[in-house]
Amino acid sequence: MAPREAAPATPTTSTALHPIEARISGGMLALNRFLMTLQNKRMPVARFTVGRDGGALRATILLDCPPDQARRYAALLSGLEDLEGLEEAGETMEVALLKTSGDGWRESATGSGVAVHEEGGTVVASGEPEAMDAWLALVGDYVQDVVRLGPVARPGNGGG
Amino acid sequence: MENTALNAEYRPRTGSEAMCEALLDEGVEYLFGYPGGAIMPFYDALPDYPLKHVLVRHEQAAAHAADGYARATGRVGVCVATSGPGATNLVTGLATAQMDSVPIVAITGQVGRPALGKDSFQETNVMGMTLPFTKHSFLVEDPEDLYPTMRRAFEIARSGRPGPVLVDVPKDVQFAACEHNGYRRLREVPQSVASPALEAAAALLRKARRPIILAGHGVTLSGAEMELRLLAERTGTPVVTTLLGISAFPEDHPLYIGWPGMHGAASVNRAIDKSDLLFAVGMRFDDRITGAAHKFAPNAKIVHIDVDPSELGKVVRPTVGIAADAKRALRGVLAHFEDAEDREDTRAPWRAEIEKSQAPEKERVEGARDDYGPIRILNAIKSVAGPEARVVTDVGQHQMWAAKFFGFTKKNSHITSGGLGTMGFALPAAMGVALAYPDEPVWVVAGDGGFQMNLQELATIRDLGLNIKVAVLNNGYLGMVRQWQQFFHNRRYSETPITGPDYERFAAAYGLGGRTVREGDDVEEAVKWAQETPGCTILDFHIDPEANVYPMIPSGMSVHEMIEEDGA
Repeated sequence: MAPREAAPATPTTSTALHPIEARISGGMLALNRFLMTLQNKRMPVARFTVGRDGGALRATILLDCPPDQARRYAALLSGLEDLEGLEEAGETMEVALLKTSGDGWRESATGSGVAVHEEGGTVVASGEPEAMDAWLALVGDYVQDVVRLGPVARPGNGGG
Repeated sequence: MENTALNAEYRPRTGSEAMCEALLDEGVEYLFGYPGGAIMPFYDALPDYPLKHVLVRHEQAAAHAADGYARATGRVGVCVATSGPGATNLVTGLATAQMDSVPIVAITGQVGRPALGKDSFQETNVMGMTLPFTKHSFLVEDPEDLYPTMRRAFEIARSGRPGPVLVDVPKDVQFAACEHNGYRRLREVPQSVASPALEAAAALLRKARRPIILAGHGVTLSGAEMELRLLAERTGTPVVTTLLGISAFPEDHPLYIGWPGMHGAASVNRAIDKSDLLFAVGMRFDDRITGAAHKFAPNAKIVHIDVDPSELGKVVRPTVGIAADAKRALRGVLAHFEDAEDREDTRAPWRAEIEKSQAPEKERVEGARDDYGPIRILNAIKSVAGPEARVVTDVGQHQMWAAKFFGFTKKNSHITSGGLGTMGFALPAAMGVALAYPDEPVWVVAGDGGFQMNLQELATIRDLGLNIKVAVLNNGYLGMVRQWQQFFHNRRYSETPITGPDYERFAAAYGLGGRTVREGDDVEEAVKWAQETPGCTILDFHIDPEANVYPMIPSGMSVHEMIEEDGA
């Protein structure tokens, strides 16, 4: 089977994505309020994930805007009573799931800034978006299929 | 001998009693409300407590009255409503308070906990629907949480940037037994203001040749009027205020030059356009002030002081941004100007330039002083009511005229709905003001459109014997909308002509005094009659239907597209 073409590069706007992590206490009502604030103030949310973190919820958002705006939005969110903590997370990352042919991809992973491991026949790669772009371009000949997830914020403490 | 104390049957407090106690412990004097099924247990407990309840005639009025009380006193206003339509009727009032950063606590009854989420009778998701309009909200599902939640609601409402907080209490929680929980008030640690920022702000102000201080509602909320005045005087800097900042600086002070924006004085807009520094405190660069933000104050550096850090950089990018309470920040900046009296007054030429540019406007106003119209009416009210008067305006042309021509000199004497621009605000809000200051003159200035929105509250005013005087500037139109239709829609007055009652007879129907005033009548005598007649009186001033507010900067435009009066 002919290898697929390298996956398209991450859009350059990914460098403008600013991750913010928040720990929210108060259950669904508090999450509702958090979401309403994002919508009400028209925050440019590129990605949003939420999950349980002990007894609280942890929400991670990626804001697609210049840094000073992101700081302003962070200041606004940090004023919410339900927030136990908020931090501007440092990095974003991508996860890619690859179906590969051959072993040629293994060597190039070392030193590329991309962490890879195999899981049930699928190669799972993670790293910063730019590093991911570069590595995927390098291993394009060995990639049959790829699904890219993200970018997402690298998990932090949610300001807690 | 029988010890009756030991034999007394112990009865734990109910949730409603805990609510009442929390209100008392917060120093609440007045509640504005309207009972109903889901809030009935609370109302049953209420008479046993020294809390004064004002029965309004519509829940919206309860929220506005609480708002007016809060604006006038700086304390947290309280309103109460039942579930369902009672709660939905509060929404406009909550949004009004939210937009102007006014601290109120709204208490709503809710259906019992087992009935929640089942589309029960008079059930609404009041928490959900008020999320955008409240600083915070609580649904109290555990009776033990009621007392501390109520106390916490007050803290949130008044702290930082004030705002409305809603407490939704299911009916069965109001009935339920609960122990009296103590509440430990969180000690609010005052934020320190970073010295470098204060120094930078002071340096910019010292260096500027054409500075303007732009003061907003935050000065009043913070009680920073004295600091503002001192700073202006020590630096010789002209002062402008936003609509909600009016009365934060006395208008008869030589450094006061007016208020800017969509309907602000043309000379003030031009001064801002020429300024090299805007020292903005407690204001948020609302679009009514800036017009096209990218064209606003093109030559000026900006110092922006606001208690809400998220306001810094929202509309304009400040050269120095200081997230702090206005009073603290102004004191910090003042510390850098102790010796200002020894310095040469380098702003004198700038002030002279502004004064010269304002001369034609002042002449025009002076010339209209005796003509029948808003200027003469407002001057009469000021003259008769005196410097202690507090004026509550509704929303529309009359609001702009009052802001422009009344001449507010008393601190916190101008009360109006700025951010939301809520028609129907004035009459109920005036109830709150009058209850807060029963010995001071309180005047409502309203248009015939807005006045009709909440005039059911005349019954409340009559029942309480409130000495509120009402001036209706009656032009038979929704005047501000008509003005826009005149300028931008080729005079197509679509749905703006509006009728109303004969207010003189309407007042009589409520047992109140009223008079109609037309051109040719003695305005001053009518105002004097209204002021001296005990109780609420209504003056129905029939004015020019097509009188306009000038100048006007169309929405989204700049000072360069300002529409001025002919001959200006």
